[in-house]
Amino acid sequence: MKTKEIAVISGKGGTGKTSLVASMMPYFDNVVLADCDVDAPDLHILLKEEDIVEEDFIGLQRPVLDEDKCILCGKCAESCNFNAISDDIEFRLSKCEGCGVCEMVCPVDAISMQDYVVGKIYTSVTDQGEMVRARLIPGEETSGRLVAEVRKKAKETAQAKGREWILIDGSPGIACNVISSITGVSKVILVIEPTVSGLHDLKRVHELVESFSIESMVVLNKADLSADGAAEIEAYCKAQGLEIALRIPFRESMVEAVVNKMLPPLYDPEFFSGLGFREFTDKLKS
Amino acid sequence: MLAVCAKEPGLDSKVDERFGRAEYYVIFDEAKNMPQSIENKAKFEAGGAGGTAVRLLNENGVDVLLAPELGPKAMDAIKAFEMTVYRYTEQKTVRETIEDYKAGKLSKIDTSTTPSKHGLRKV
Amino acid sequence: MRIAILSGKGGTGKTTVATNLLSVSDNGVLIDTDVEEPNSHLFLKPQIHHSEAIKKRYPIVDETLCNLCGACGDFCRFNAILPAKKQVLVFKELCHDCGGCQMVCPQGAIQYKERSIGMVHTGKTDTNQVMHYGELIVGEISGVPIIERLHQITKDEDLVFIDSPPGTACSTVAAIESADYAIIVAEPTPFGVSDMKMVVELLRNLHIPMGVVVNKDGLGDDEIYRYCETESVHILGRIPFKKEYARHYAGGTLISKVDEEYRKNLTGILAQVIGRKEGV
Repeated sequence: MKTKEIAVISGKGGTGKTSLVASMMPYFDNVVLADCDVDAPDLHILLKEEDIVEEDFIGLQRPVLDEDKCILCGKCAESCNFNAISDDIEFRLSKCEGCGVCEMVCPVDAISMQDYVVGKIYTSVTDQGEMVRARLIPGEETSGRLVAEVRKKAKETAQAKGREWILIDGSPGIACNVISSITGVSKVILVIEPTVSGLHDLKRVHELVESFSIESMVVLNKADLSADGAAEIEAYCKAQGLEIALRIPFRESMVEAVVNKMLPPLYDPEFFSGLGFREFTDKLKS
Repeated sequence: MLAVCAKEPGLDSKVDERFGRAEYYVIFDEAKNMPQSIENKAKFEAGGAGGTAVRLLNENGVDVLLAPELGPKAMDAIKAFEMTVYRYTEQKTVRETIEDYKAGKLSKIDTSTTPSKHGLRKV
Repeated sequence: MRIAILSGKGGTGKTTVATNLLSVSDNGVLIDTDVEEPNSHLFLKPQIHHSEAIKKRYPIVDETLCNLCGACGDFCRFNAILPAKKQVLVFKELCHDCGGCQMVCPQGAIQYKERSIGMVHTGKTDTNQVMHYGELIVGEISGVPIIERLHQITKDEDLVFIDSPPGTACSTVAAIESADYAIIVAEPTPFGVSDMKMVVELLRNLHIPMGVVVNKDGLGDDEIYRYCETESVHILGRIPFKKEYARHYAGGTLISKVDEEYRKNLTGILAQVIGRKEGV
């Protein structure tokens, strides 16, 4: 069976991307979840995880100093373009991009580049399906490769278990980690709020998705927050031929569901049937 | 020499859907009829896997490549290393894909099939 | 004093707090270091009077000197330079500008050229307050040089509000590492607490004193208060959840300009931060 991937992204964070993914889960039976929002990996909070397997993620190589060999000549500090080495040869690793210039210029071979763990990848089984997620050590860069790794593990799991769908909670922003969240997926959902920044962000993220020729549709979250804002987004989507597949009004029960660590459609089923949420997910599956 | 992107080593492996981040390349010497599989070390790269993969294939004497999608950087590298690329679109085995190539069923490509993953349009 | 305003994830109200703090301050300057998604200018609506391109270098190879030895390609860990059959290809958007390829080239064939990776815009609000914001070109890998420039141009200011990128990645570190104090804006939900924990960990690693503003108070539960008490993280203030606040935000209005209670709340938070400089 060919597994199909659906990615949910949002441009900026906090538009309800994770809540939307959490709401979609009960409508997909045969699914693997890939939480690619490695800055705020929150989906698992609403799920009961079992059989968690943890693996190191090596992001890059960074220098390690052999203090016995170092003659404090300062060549490495002088050559570093990232200001990651102090004059007394202390590495400021959070600034180090792992280029290897210090290792090269060291006249006494006191510096060696070694594998550096920047985060962890977790695979688990939840009541909604298998799940893959990651967590970065604070201060480390979200790399497209970590996202690619999460997706790869999700794909392997889907293939091994014969799962039909992979739901991706994508990275926020528009940088390379977002690109890694959407390359090769069958559909992208853009979650947007009707705010001034919402439209600004929608344009940027839509431009990105368009450049990959992936089928995309918009979910307008908290649609009743601003009539003017909503009208602007509707107009933009219409002009761009971008479908608004779902409009979700603001409901406190969405927040209450999260507070109670429940998936929103299980907490407030009437709200979801009133929204036509099943029709929305059926459309995604078609 | 001919190379095919593969998920696993050997002629009976399925072809990979990616070029730069393919798991393996099965390199096939048409004259000797001998397959050899190499692991793609470029797949671990954070960015620019395509170009580095082309360099790796060149070091192994490859001049014809059978591949799925190709990004613009990989395509530039392929031209600079003077290789020819034929594109497959079906998930067959390496052996079947080589048969398709020999039968002239694969089309030659000389432009990238996906947009750039970096440096998109300006704001 | 440099005050960073940050949050574990986007959408908690970081920009709202930063722009309103600027608005209630007398002499502050704001820098928007969320260069991937800069939004504060949408609320402050500055008249931009100065814009500058931020440059990064990339190598160019002199083909008359190059002997295709391959040393540059062997050295580069970012796959940005690729020695091929008759020429050397440079993928400039992959280049981190480390300078290594030039150092290893035995022929002296490599020079550097500059290219633009984004902009810094400077403007004044209608109340004559200065703000600078950075904007990264879509698809570029790192906005850190833009963030560093924003700090450099405001280094002599007395009071700087730093609207930081969300999350805890290296762009956040670049934005906050020179801060004297950090205000974490968090929502009182399980997601909010989970994201905030990572920020607290980061700030402790960087030895930056911190306080929390609980935004959308009343909408979630009290887990955040228990967490702050256990971890001895000071709570600077609570901003209640009100639909009218959300509507002002949606329309791009600075809430402190139209709501007296909100203005007082923010003024109180700012006074505490300025007074608590040495705290935690």
